[in-house]
Amino acid sequence: MKRIGVDVGGTFTDLIYVDDEAGVIRVHKLPTTPDDPSQGTIQGVKELAAEAGAEPSSLDQVFHGTTIATNIVIEHTGARVGMLTTEGYRDILHIARHKKPLNFSNYQDLPWQAYPVVRRRYRLTVPERVTGDGAVLVPLDEERAREQVRALKEAGVEAVCVCFLFSFLNPNHERRVAEIVREEFPEAFLSVSSEVLPQYREYERFSTVGLNAYVGPKVASYVARLGEELEALGLRSGLHLMTSASGVATSEAAIRRPVNLLMSGPVAGVVGGIWAGKQAGYDNVITLDVGGTSADIGLAQEGRLRMKHLLDTKVGPYQAMIPMVDVDTIGAGGGSIAYVDAGGIYRVGPRSAGAVPGPAAYGRGGTQATATDAMVNLGWLLPEAFLGGGMSLDGEKARAAFADGPAAALGMSVEEASMGAVQILTHSMVQSIEENSVRKGFDPRDFALVAEGGAGPVFAVPIAIEVGTPNVVVPPHPGIAAAMGLVATDMVYEYGATTYQRLSKLDAASLQSRFEELEAQAAAQLEEDGIEADRIVIQRIAEARYLGQGYELRVDVGSGAIDETWVERLRADFHDIHEREYSRRFEESDIEVPNIRVRGIGLMPELSTPEVRTGDASADHALRHEGEAWFLVEGSLEQVPTRYYDREALEAGNRLVGPAIVNQYDSTTVIPPGVEAHVDRFGNIVIEVGASAAAGAAATVTANEGV
Amino acid sequence: MSTVEYELGKHPGPPELERVEVDPITMRVLGGAFHAIAKEMSGVLFRMSYSSIIRESEDLGAGIFDAQGRELCESDSTPMHIGSLPWYIRGFMRHLEGKIVEGDVIIHNHPYYGASHSPDIAVAVPIFWDGELQGFAAVTAHVLDVGGSFPGINADAFDMYAEAKIYDGLRWYQAGELNEDLDRMVFDNVRTETMNRGDMNAMMAACQLGRDRMLRLYERYGVDTVMSAAYDWMDYSEAMLREQIRALPDGEYTAPTGWLDDDARNRDVRLRIETKVIVDGDEITIDLTGSNAEVPTGYNVPFEGSLLVGAYYAVRTILLDEVTFPEHVPQNDGVFRPVKVIAPKGTIYNPTFPRACFSRFCQVQRVVDNTILALADALPEGVTAGNSAGIHFCAYSGFSEEMGEYWLYLEVNEGAYGGRFGKDAMDSVDNLMANTRNNPIEELDLRFPIRCDQYELRPEPAAPGRWRGGIGIIRRNRFLVDGVYSCEGDRQTDPPRGIFGGWDGLVASCRKNPDTAQQEILPAKVTGVPFAAGEFIEFREPNAAGYGDPLDRPPDAVREDVLDDFTTIALARDAYGVVFGDERTLEIDAAATEALRGELRKSRSVTSLTEYFAAELPRSTKPVSIAGNAEFGMT
Repeated sequence: MKRIGVDVGGTFTDLIYVDDEAGVIRVHKLPTTPDDPSQGTIQGVKELAAEAGAEPSSLDQVFHGTTIATNIVIEHTGARVGMLTTEGYRDILHIARHKKPLNFSNYQDLPWQAYPVVRRRYRLTVPERVTGDGAVLVPLDEERAREQVRALKEAGVEAVCVCFLFSFLNPNHERRVAEIVREEFPEAFLSVSSEVLPQYREYERFSTVGLNAYVGPKVASYVARLGEELEALGLRSGLHLMTSASGVATSEAAIRRPVNLLMSGPVAGVVGGIWAGKQAGYDNVITLDVGGTSADIGLAQEGRLRMKHLLDTKVGPYQAMIPMVDVDTIGAGGGSIAYVDAGGIYRVGPRSAGAVPGPAAYGRGGTQATATDAMVNLGWLLPEAFLGGGMSLDGEKARAAFADGPAAALGMSVEEASMGAVQILTHSMVQSIEENSVRKGFDPRDFALVAEGGAGPVFAVPIAIEVGTPNVVVPPHPGIAAAMGLVATDMVYEYGATTYQRLSKLDAASLQSRFEELEAQAAAQLEEDGIEADRIVIQRIAEARYLGQGYELRVDVGSGAIDETWVERLRADFHDIHEREYSRRFEESDIEVPNIRVRGIGLMPELSTPEVRTGDASADHALRHEGEAWFLVEGSLEQVPTRYYDREALEAGNRLVGPAIVNQYDSTTVIPPGVEAHVDRFGNIVIEVGASAAAGAAATVTANEGV
Repeated sequence: MSTVEYELGKHPGPPELERVEVDPITMRVLGGAFHAIAKEMSGVLFRMSYSSIIRESEDLGAGIFDAQGRELCESDSTPMHIGSLPWYIRGFMRHLEGKIVEGDVIIHNHPYYGASHSPDIAVAVPIFWDGELQGFAAVTAHVLDVGGSFPGINADAFDMYAEAKIYDGLRWYQAGELNEDLDRMVFDNVRTETMNRGDMNAMMAACQLGRDRMLRLYERYGVDTVMSAAYDWMDYSEAMLREQIRALPDGEYTAPTGWLDDDARNRDVRLRIETKVIVDGDEITIDLTGSNAEVPTGYNVPFEGSLLVGAYYAVRTILLDEVTFPEHVPQNDGVFRPVKVIAPKGTIYNPTFPRACFSRFCQVQRVVDNTILALADALPEGVTAGNSAGIHFCAYSGFSEEMGEYWLYLEVNEGAYGGRFGKDAMDSVDNLMANTRNNPIEELDLRFPIRCDQYELRPEPAAPGRWRGGIGIIRRNRFLVDGVYSCEGDRQTDPPRGIFGGWDGLVASCRKNPDTAQQEILPAKVTGVPFAAGEFIEFREPNAAGYGDPLDRPPDAVREDVLDDFTTIALARDAYGVVFGDERTLEIDAAATEALRGELRKSRSVTSLTEYFAAELPRSTKPVSIAGNAEFGMT
């Protein structure tokens, strides 16, 4: 197959071209075109195809990851949305879960009231009510519904969502109102709760469906435009997009349910990290993608992504009850500001200097000390080699920012304060890794840390030492990990249904037929995508909980007949998963299955990347510079002779002995003293933290006993 | 169970540990770790637990404490639980000092020895290192039933013995072994055994997890470094708060007298609240002298576990507001230290054993609200207008033959905030110390024989102000089978106070079967009221008060309010002096508006929403209510 993966981020659009048969991979990077990101995407596809000598019409697939939906939500630039909801319950979106984001603040804003996805004036009610058994208590007043649709049209809304109570049990009223909307107001973007998310908990459902409508018009027109332009290039199969669950959406599905794209970008980064880990020989990975303002952290055991808990699936401040890969984002990056607060506590981030004015060293007017300035002060970033020499850093400004700021306030030297800033950021990433992943029962010693993004490979080694991962993998192109993820993943479609089955009183026949319906849907979609039958895999998932609990855990279940053995297996697996998640199991308790899901997987050809030239242990040919940099040596901060290497020149088998720094266009890898690394045949730098962990740990402990 | 020897509210003073110096980096690492542990504990608790009051509403708290109960950290759950655990620990330690061993699991809910109130059970697990007790991992959570006279809520209990079964520092597990007789005693004597068991197992799991996380920190950093950092962080929080107190002018600030509706039995006898805030250097005292004598019902306030917590909350929230104050100041023992509370023995805020004190939330909320109002002149840009500062916390229950035990549903009906400097208030949200989550309607209807017939902003408009007050909710819940209803509530007679010219808010109301022939007005506090299948209850929660003169609100903002039904055309005219030339397009008649505003500035008769709606509340006749009435033959 000939495939392109394209990831549109805030700053860059990254592309990868893969020709599986010929074993060719090419990467490409160009600035994102924020006004219409499809322009940059199309231009990139054309340029990359030309570079690879391939006609766009010969491409089998274009797989796309994007932050467009996320940015609409975060920047509050979505559509004017109208809502039709059950009379008597107008304010579900205004009340939310009646819980404040902050405990100790009378001056906070409730985001759903201060920046509502649907303003109250556009939330109109319709007489109707379905009850908890799916019966109709109040019949739908169709005439009233029609009047309300006309009122919304007159008010100039661009999107309409239809959100009735219990529509996940009985969708008839919603369907009828959807027909009326199509009749009266066909140009509106329509989002119907029983179609978008047929699951219980009305606030979360309405919020998700409202968000779907909010991002809908813009995302739909972007996806449609991109699809058309790709079609105009003669592309064989349609555009596919990555979802928040690392699944795939066709452009039609993405247009119908754009809410599923909300975490598209960061998730692709985790997928790319998993792939990079696998290629280097590690199936268990923690991925760390550090950019300018934030760090994305993910974890995968045996190469499998983990999903977020239902309660944690938020985008910005809004609840979006959609399956989402467990990616945690924290405010720690190269631009994070280091300062000492009024109580004398040393803090770094979450405030960031951003791209403008940026770190002091950028020389764009920034004066506050940032993590990037700290790295310059420590000698880790070479001022003249930044961005491949495309931008130079001002070492004096970096120094002044620390000297006048945290170093003065703490009575430390510039280097001590700089190292402290790096350590504090390191620790917040460690904290996040532990809290979100490792503390859930995964032993870090079984994992490799994959470092991505411009700054991930700077922080990775001390983090690995703290967390206890024995190896760090720095892929050949850490800056385009997300695009890599797009071509490295299978096509996964996911379909769900609400079942409410109890294992002690299981209606096996009904469960079986619900699974089969979903399986048929999945198979049909994959066939439509041109996936051959022998490359289609169908998986079943039960969302289960102990009877009486309120939140479910996902359990993979067999695809065979639903009999005693099948049920026993589900029961046993659920107990294990519950114990791993919460450290307790309740063997005597009945288990309930409120929802089921089916994953339809179209297997993609194994991505085979070219190997780099083989060399010997010496990396001297890649040595570009010898200088001095600051490191913690056995707990004390010292300036030591340091070698600086050029990433492009490294060969398989080369060994790097810290202190060493490896520069490449958009990333820097830091190998501290006492730590060694080697380059594998794919060009990954594998840093052997484990071998030197004893020394490293000793260094950290000493550091803790007083600086 | 004599309380004579016990010294109420006694803080253990400074820790004895000889501290080691902790470098700034480790300081940050450990601070983050403490916070993460508390958060993780509460996460386990609400995700694992069974009753909706814990898992949906998150009526819980979790944290780590030293051996004297000094708080290292607490979860970001419900503030009413935050700061009470130290007192639970000091309460049970009077029995258990020197007797605790590894593997013990302690339960406690004695309201005269530190408990917040008896249904908030604490589970605590000791943390040992090198054979020495270092502290506790502990949680509190509101369990559905504690075996009082009535299911769930006992506002009108005769005494402490009638409100609950009391667990006074009992060891549920001893050295890792289940105390089987105690276990049966505890769970055989509550109406909701299955739920209580599931919840208390979750509480224990959360504590064990907290303990294990602390042990890892000891192992990694050494116990002296960890505890030194913990105490340094307490000093930090204390210093930050003291600095803010010092910035206030010294003096005595008095809130207007507040009134509670009644004591749950003696109707039409209101209870007085007097609140004085004394600022002296870097200390602040909340003095409740002059407040009502204790009452013969369960409407008294446990001094340690509830009143002190309320005072800590009020001071911290006003002076270290998480949004307006630039740094995150962790919640720990340090923020308690500069705050003193005076409440004479024998008053509702410091009752005498064995008075019942099951229902205390509304009274504590009013202390917080009064503290805010008292400081209005000293801190005009940091306070709010009067808040709903009440709650209607209700229990719906009945006996299920099928389960062989009770079904019991607890619901927290939220309030609203008063207007604030520079911005409008928060509507329909848990107010002040309450920060629970509501129970989804779809969860309620699926799990309980109760149906929610209406849930939205109440039909009456917001209290006018330069920055308007928050709007409360209207909620109707219908019994689908015969059952029993109890409630602790308040704020039905004394509305939230407007400040700087803002209007007073609108009082709450509770009605049984409203807008039918069977309508009955219910007091806010009732216990064990039978409801027949089909009967329903309606709550309207207070609309909180406005901040600043409504005549100063820009007419365009008033127009926006009308568009969103936050106010009415009539009130726009009567309170804001805004006249619309065309009531359909809502075009503002600028000249008429200016003229009317001029007149109103000279003389205004009404500045209270409660007065404005004195005659009658607007009816609410939604199709779901009408259909439900028809279903059960009600007219």
